[in-house]
Amino acid sequence: MKQSRRNALKAGAAIAAASALPRFAIAQAGTVKIGMSMPQTGALGAGGQAALLALRMWVDEVNVRGGLLGKRVEFIVYDDQTNPANTPGIYTKLLDVDKVDLLIAPYGTVPTAPIMPLVKERKKLLMGNFSFQVNAKVQHDMWFNNSPWNDASSWSDGFFRAGQKAGAKSVAILAADNDFAQNLANGARTLAKKAGIKSVYDQNYPPTTTDFSSLIRAIRAAKPEMVFVMSYPNDSVAIVRAVNEIGLGPQVQIFGGGMVGLQFTPIMASLGSLLNGVMNYNSYVPGIKYPGIEDFLKRYSARAKEAKVDPLGFYLPPFNYAIGQMLEQAVNGANSIEDAKIAAYLRKSEMRTIVGPIKFGKDGEWAQARVVQAQFRGIADKDVEQFRQIGKQVVVYPDAYKTGDVITPYDKARKAK
Amino acid sequence: MRFWIGALLLAIAAGALAVSGVNEYFFFAAYVVITYIVLATAWNILGGYAGYVNFGTPAFFGSGAYAAVVLFQALGAPLVVQIAAGTAMGAALGFGVGVMTLRLRGIFFAIATVAVVFIMETLMINWRYVGGATGLQLQRPEVMAPFATYARMLFFVMTVMAIAAVGIARYIQTSWVGRGLRAVRDSEEAAEANGVPTLKLKLIACVVSGGLMGAAGAPMPMYLSFIEPASTFSLNYAIGALAAPMIGGTIHWLGPVIGAIVLASLQQIVTVTISGEMNVLVVGVLLVLFVVLAPDGILGLFKRWLKSSSR
Repeated sequence: MKQSRRNALKAGAAIAAASALPRFAIAQAGTVKIGMSMPQTGALGAGGQAALLALRMWVDEVNVRGGLLGKRVEFIVYDDQTNPANTPGIYTKLLDVDKVDLLIAPYGTVPTAPIMPLVKERKKLLMGNFSFQVNAKVQHDMWFNNSPWNDASSWSDGFFRAGQKAGAKSVAILAADNDFAQNLANGARTLAKKAGIKSVYDQNYPPTTTDFSSLIRAIRAAKPEMVFVMSYPNDSVAIVRAVNEIGLGPQVQIFGGGMVGLQFTPIMASLGSLLNGVMNYNSYVPGIKYPGIEDFLKRYSARAKEAKVDPLGFYLPPFNYAIGQMLEQAVNGANSIEDAKIAAYLRKSEMRTIVGPIKFGKDGEWAQARVVQAQFRGIADKDVEQFRQIGKQVVVYPDAYKTGDVITPYDKARKAK
Repeated sequence: MRFWIGALLLAIAAGALAVSGVNEYFFFAAYVVITYIVLATAWNILGGYAGYVNFGTPAFFGSGAYAAVVLFQALGAPLVVQIAAGTAMGAALGFGVGVMTLRLRGIFFAIATVAVVFIMETLMINWRYVGGATGLQLQRPEVMAPFATYARMLFFVMTVMAIAAVGIARYIQTSWVGRGLRAVRDSEEAAEANGVPTLKLKLIACVVSGGLMGAAGAPMPMYLSFIEPASTFSLNYAIGALAAPMIGGTIHWLGPVIGAIVLASLQQIVTVTISGEMNVLVVGVLLVLFVVLAPDGILGLFKRWLKSSSR
């Protein structure tokens, strides 16, 4: 009995020593800590989980490549529950308790806004994550956003150009009285005015609206040639259904624009053929030739299946992976993990990412916006996999990434294959 | 007297802590915990003493926050003025809601208070001056000496407010108002028949409770340097303010304080330890456990333990 206990103790000591070894090796080489909060529950939870998976993929891959400046990357993430009241506390913990070196912003505008003064006070670099104009007031000079839009008009620019090409001269604007929808609506109004497009209908609706039939009927009665909608996911679904039920009239050339949610896999899958003909903004759709994105999406799909998150991952994951790529390029380029040096590098250099080349403007947003406008075509019901095919969402804007021409009028585009 | 000496010592300790070298994160986390102490204490005045379950905490909290924002936007008002305005706004809303809904009882009163939250949220969503649905970023003014950062100052201010709130709740509990409210809770008809001015007492409770909730909300925009309606009128505040007295005990002023410290601290810890869906479960599980195992809260458990050990 005594003998076996001694053996067990010996074995235990050996295991403890062995497990301490690699830790010692890492401690010697040091780590670079990257911290963030990500909405993993609450309104932005589903998107946040997919985005987080992409960032974790980058962390794993960069560590296989030897880390940043030879140091292993340690990734610290907390769930902010899509609650802006949680983020200032979380980011203070990241800075003061976890002592992270680099910060990434949470996905979305609302959770990011409260941490802007904090990062400015502490002179920390912050990589933005699909937020909209959060730096407009704070003007932090170490803010770099990954989103392909910059100002409000970048969302509607492509839509109006396509409409004008089709000869449309009037527009109906329907916008949620919510979040950035109002900013975008203002951008669209300015653009329409500048282009001499007549506004025949302009209506804001409360974010809690569930029945859009009366609004769609009113739009139909106004006989617009373009219908520009800025809506949130639940509203987008209801609007698309109402339009398919009621119709917009034969004069409508294009319909869509800034409908949030039509990029999300579960919504695309549930709407299916009802999406046909809708022309809407997007960040990425298959067919756009960004170097490395197809390979990324293959790797992502395999891991998304395991993690049970968005299986397609077109909207957020590539742009989150790009945050990692930008950090990697900037840290290596500046040969430092100091915020100011990385920021200086990010400001002056063009970043090469899987979502294309990125050059930042003075305000930390993209110097050249690249909001894609794509038209849904030949979509069948109940088939998620079809969205991986090129041609199911045809890019009509910007010209450099175009995969086809817009089909007008909307009624014809609905039937196009 | 002993209570007020203790309160004074606590305020001095909080001030000393705020100017000490303690980690900044502590102040951010503690601010949220202390906010819940004020909210739970305020909730208990109407919910615990009078037995009127109020789900409208976010309406009062949010109206205080927005009152502060309006004054800050229009006049650049300092924090003290913002808090005074938040308190007044919360109290006024408490009076209005009280007059309209206190004739309702039980579940009907609870439903009416939920409606107030949605009304207030809708109003703020449609008011462009305070940012509407988009929200509004606020540039915080310079922090006042001797505090090094805004979070430290807010921690101290919120501690003083919590002490004041508990002082008021304690006074109400031991005064004629509290005795009257307890009579209302036990049997409103019997109380009325015995000459207790039930509506007047309930209105006082509603005004004081609303005022304190408004006060708790007033510094929030400065804490976040941002305000938007969805999170300001979040029902999480209603659940937190209700759950804390349930966990701590509703019959004594100390109950909500203990409950809020336990619950809000746990939530803060869980947020930075167990990330993901699990942390949302904590309040629910705790609430169910306490309702089943300790219906009189931690204070009730403590009393039971005292009784059994004295036997």
